[in-house]
Amino acid sequence: MNAVYASQLAFFAVHAPFDRMEMAHLLWMIARLKLGYYAQGEVIVAPEQGVVERFLVIKQGLVQGEQSVAHASDADTWLELTAGECFPLGALLAHRPVASLYRSVMDTFCYELPLADFHALLGLSAPFRDFCTRRIANLLEHSKQVIQAQYTQSSAEQQSLTSPLSSIICRAPVTCTPDTSVRDVLARMHELRVGSMIAVDEQGRPLGILTLPDVLERIALPQIDIDQAVIGIMTTQLTFLSPQALAYEAALTMAKLGFRHVLVVENERLVGLVSEKDLFALQRVGLRQIGSSIRHAKTCQEFQQSAADIRRMAHNMMAQGVTAEQLTQFISTFNDQLAARIVELEYAASGVSDSPFAGRLCWMALGSEGRFEQTLSTDQDNALIFTVPEGMTANNVREWILPVARRINETLALCGFPLCRGNVMASNPEWCLSLDEWKRKFSDWIVNGTPLALLHASIFFDFRSVQGAHDLAEGLRGWLMKVAVENARFLHQMAENALVIRPPLGLVRDFVVGKEHKLDLKLSGITPFVDAARIFSLATGITQTSTIQRLRASAASLKIHPSEIEAWVDAFMFIQVLRMRHHDEGQAQGLGDDELDNLIDPESLHELDRRILKEAFRQARKLQARLALEYHL
Amino acid sequence: MIGRLLGWLRSQHNLTQVQQHKLSDWRDIPSVTRPRAINSSRCVVVDVETSGLNLWEDRLISIGAVAVVNGKIDLGDCFYSVLQQETASDRENILLHGIGVFEQTEGVPAADALLAFLHFLQKDPLIAFHVTFDKTMIVRAMRKYLGYSFNHLWSDMAYVMPALNPELASRYRSLDEWLGHFDIRNDARHNALADALVTAQLFQVGAVQAKKRNIIDFVALRDLEKAQRWVSEVG
Repeated sequence: MNAVYASQLAFFAVHAPFDRMEMAHLLWMIARLKLGYYAQGEVIVAPEQGVVERFLVIKQGLVQGEQSVAHASDADTWLELTAGECFPLGALLAHRPVASLYRSVMDTFCYELPLADFHALLGLSAPFRDFCTRRIANLLEHSKQVIQAQYTQSSAEQQSLTSPLSSIICRAPVTCTPDTSVRDVLARMHELRVGSMIAVDEQGRPLGILTLPDVLERIALPQIDIDQAVIGIMTTQLTFLSPQALAYEAALTMAKLGFRHVLVVENERLVGLVSEKDLFALQRVGLRQIGSSIRHAKTCQEFQQSAADIRRMAHNMMAQGVTAEQLTQFISTFNDQLAARIVELEYAASGVSDSPFAGRLCWMALGSEGRFEQTLSTDQDNALIFTVPEGMTANNVREWILPVARRINETLALCGFPLCRGNVMASNPEWCLSLDEWKRKFSDWIVNGTPLALLHASIFFDFRSVQGAHDLAEGLRGWLMKVAVENARFLHQMAENALVIRPPLGLVRDFVVGKEHKLDLKLSGITPFVDAARIFSLATGITQTSTIQRLRASAASLKIHPSEIEAWVDAFMFIQVLRMRHHDEGQAQGLGDDELDNLIDPESLHELDRRILKEAFRQARKLQARLALEYHL
Repeated sequence: MIGRLLGWLRSQHNLTQVQQHKLSDWRDIPSVTRPRAINSSRCVVVDVETSGLNLWEDRLISIGAVAVVNGKIDLGDCFYSVLQQETASDRENILLHGIGVFEQTEGVPAADALLAFLHFLQKDPLIAFHVTFDKTMIVRAMRKYLGYSFNHLWSDMAYVMPALNPELASRYRSLDEWLGHFDIRNDARHNALADALVTAQLFQVGAVQAKKRNIIDFVALRDLEKAQRWVSEVG
C-alpha cells in the first residue's frame, strides 16, 4: 500500500461513512482524491459555477454554506461544516449547481473527488451510497448504536421493546370452538397449563377469551353451570394488534386497559397471543404493574412511588433504544393515568362526584403533555372545561371547583410536576371555564392576534382530555378546527411568530451558542417543529395533537413529499432523545426535577451526535422555509 | 574535471542498457523554457530521509514526493521509494524515520529508485523545505549511482514562507513551526512521503498568499526566494 494512502486512512477511519466502507473501496477512493486548500474567506463552491463537479470532504478547517437571497426558500439552508463532513451531496446527486455558496471560514483543506468517480463510488460501495442518499436516517442508525453502547446497564441479550410482536410469539395460541363447554375448556387449560383460552370461528377469527382470573370471578364465585357454552362467559370485546406491531404497543395497550393478554391477528385470523409475561422478559419495570399501581394508588406516597417508577421505566427504555416518539408517548400515557387518578380521588374526597357537577367536568392536558411529548422535566400545564348546571352561573361553578383544582395541582407538584410558572393551571380562574367561555376566549385570541394571544394559542391549542367528560374537549376541538381554517389571517400571524425563533446556524462559533456556550434544545430545537406542526394542523383541519402525527397527517393536503416529512420527524425525534438523555444524565447526577434544563454544551456531545444535531437543525430550517413559503413570509 | 569525466564513464559503465535508456529518455524530455503558472501546471514536492544530517557523508535512504497539479495535491500521483542500502543505518536513525534494517537492505537498487524518481518528476519544478539538504542528498546520489549531474529548478519553502509572512519570519524556522502555525497536522512525521505531503500543503498555503502579491509563476517565486535569502543573510 502506498504510504500516502496509509496516512490518509487514519483520517477516514474515524469519520462516517468512510469508517463503514470496505478497505478496497476506500483505497480506490483515496487514489482518486485531490487535496485542495482554501484560504479564509475563499469561495469553494458557488451556484454560478454551474453543475457541481466534485465531491468534497473537509480534512481540516471550517466551511459555511451561505444561502443566497434569491433562493430564500430553497431546500439547502444555512449550515456550518467541520472536519470529516461531506458536501454538496444534494447538488451532486441531482446533477445541479449548488443552491448555497460554500465558503471557508478559516484555512481549510478539502479532499476532492471528481464527479465521475463520485458516481462510480456510489455504485461500488453500499455504505457510501446509503450515507449519501439517506443522510439523516443513516446517521441516526449510527448514533442509536452509540447510545445503546453508552447505557451499559442494558444487557445485550435483552430483547428490545422495539421488536415486532411476530418475533415474540413463541407458540401457537390454544383455541377452542365457541360452543365448547366450560367444563372441557377448564380441563384443557389445566392439562396444557395455559393461562388463557381463545374461542375462534371456522375461519380462525377470534371471538372471545377466557383467562385464569375470570375462572374465579365468572365461574367459581357465581357457581354457574359449567356445561354451558364457554362463549357465554368469555370477554368478547377483544383488543387486536398486528404481528408487525411493536412490543411496546402491546405493553402500552396492556398498561392502558389493564389486560394481561393481547391478541395478535393477521388478516382477521388469530396468529398468536402475547402475554404480559412474554413482555415482562423485555423490561425491568413491568409496564402493566406501573399502570395497575397507579389505578389503585390512594395516598400521596403511592402517587410519588408511581411517579418514580415512571422515571425508572423511562431510563430503562432509553437504554433499550426505544425511539423518542414511543418514549414520550409512554411517559405521557402514564402521566395521564397518574393525573386522572389524582383528579378522581380528589373529586371523591371533595364530594364533586356526588355534586351536580359530576360528569360535567373535563380535566385537560395542555402544552407538551397535550402533545404526548412529555419528557422527564416538565411542569404542569392543565385546565378545566365544564358545563354549567341549570340554575347556576359559571362563577358559581368556579367558586366550587377552584379549591378542588388547587389541591389537585398541589398533589401533582408533590409527584414531580412542578407548579406552572406561568400559572397555566386549572386552579387559575382564567383557565377554569365553561365550554362557551372557552370558545369566546379562543375567538378573542384568533380575532385579535396580539403577541399574548399567540403565546396562549401555542399552549392551549394543544389541549387534550385527560379525565372526565371527554366530549367537552372533543366539542371544543371540533369547533376550533372550523374556526381556525376560516381565519387565514390568524394562521399567518402564528406562522410569522413561529419564524422568530431561528434554529442555530452552526455549533462552532460563539454567537451561535451564546455566551455560555450552551444550546437550548427546547427553544431552538423542538419549538420550530412543534410550532410549524401546530399551524399545519390548524390549516388542514387535523385533530391530532402530537407533533409527529400532525406533520404526517397534514403532508398530503400541503403536498409535501413523505420523505421530507420523515426527515423532519427523524430530526425532531433526535432532538427529543438528546433532551431526554440530558435529563437522564442530570438525574443520574442527583439533580432534582426543577433543576433539569434543556441547555447542552455542543462540545460535550459525541462527534456523530454533533453532526446529527446540526443536520436536525438544518431540517428545522427547511421546515421553517416551508412554513414561510406557505404564508408568503 | 578529468576525475569527473572518469567517474561519469565508470558509472555509465555500471548502468544496464535499460537503465541507460531510461536516463536518456528522461534527459530527452524538453525542459520548460517559459515561466509556468503555479495554478495551472504540475510541480513536485519532495522530502528525503537519510542516515544522518551530514551532507557529505550520510546516505540517502528514502525519497517521498507528491505532485501538485493545478494547485491541488493529487493523492493518486505520488512517489515513494526506499533505496537499497549495503549496511543499514544505526538504531537511533532508524527510530527517527522508522525504516528498519530489513526494509533498508531489501529496498530498490539505488539506480532504479533514482530513475523511477526522475520518471515521476518529469521536468517539472521541485519544491522542498530547506532545499539545500534534500537537493544535496539527491544530487550526490544521482552522481554516485547514475553518474549524472542533476541540475534542476528548486523552490525552497523555508525562504518562500518567511518572505510571504514577514511578521512571522523571526518566530518560525522549522517545518514543524510553520505547519503548527497553519494547523496542518502530520500523522507520520519523518516519513518522507508524509512529510512531502504536509510540505505540499504548506506550499498550497504559500501559493495562495503569493497570488495575492501577484506572484503567479515559478520564476517569480524563485525571485522572491532569492530576495529573502539576501534579506536573511544581511539580517
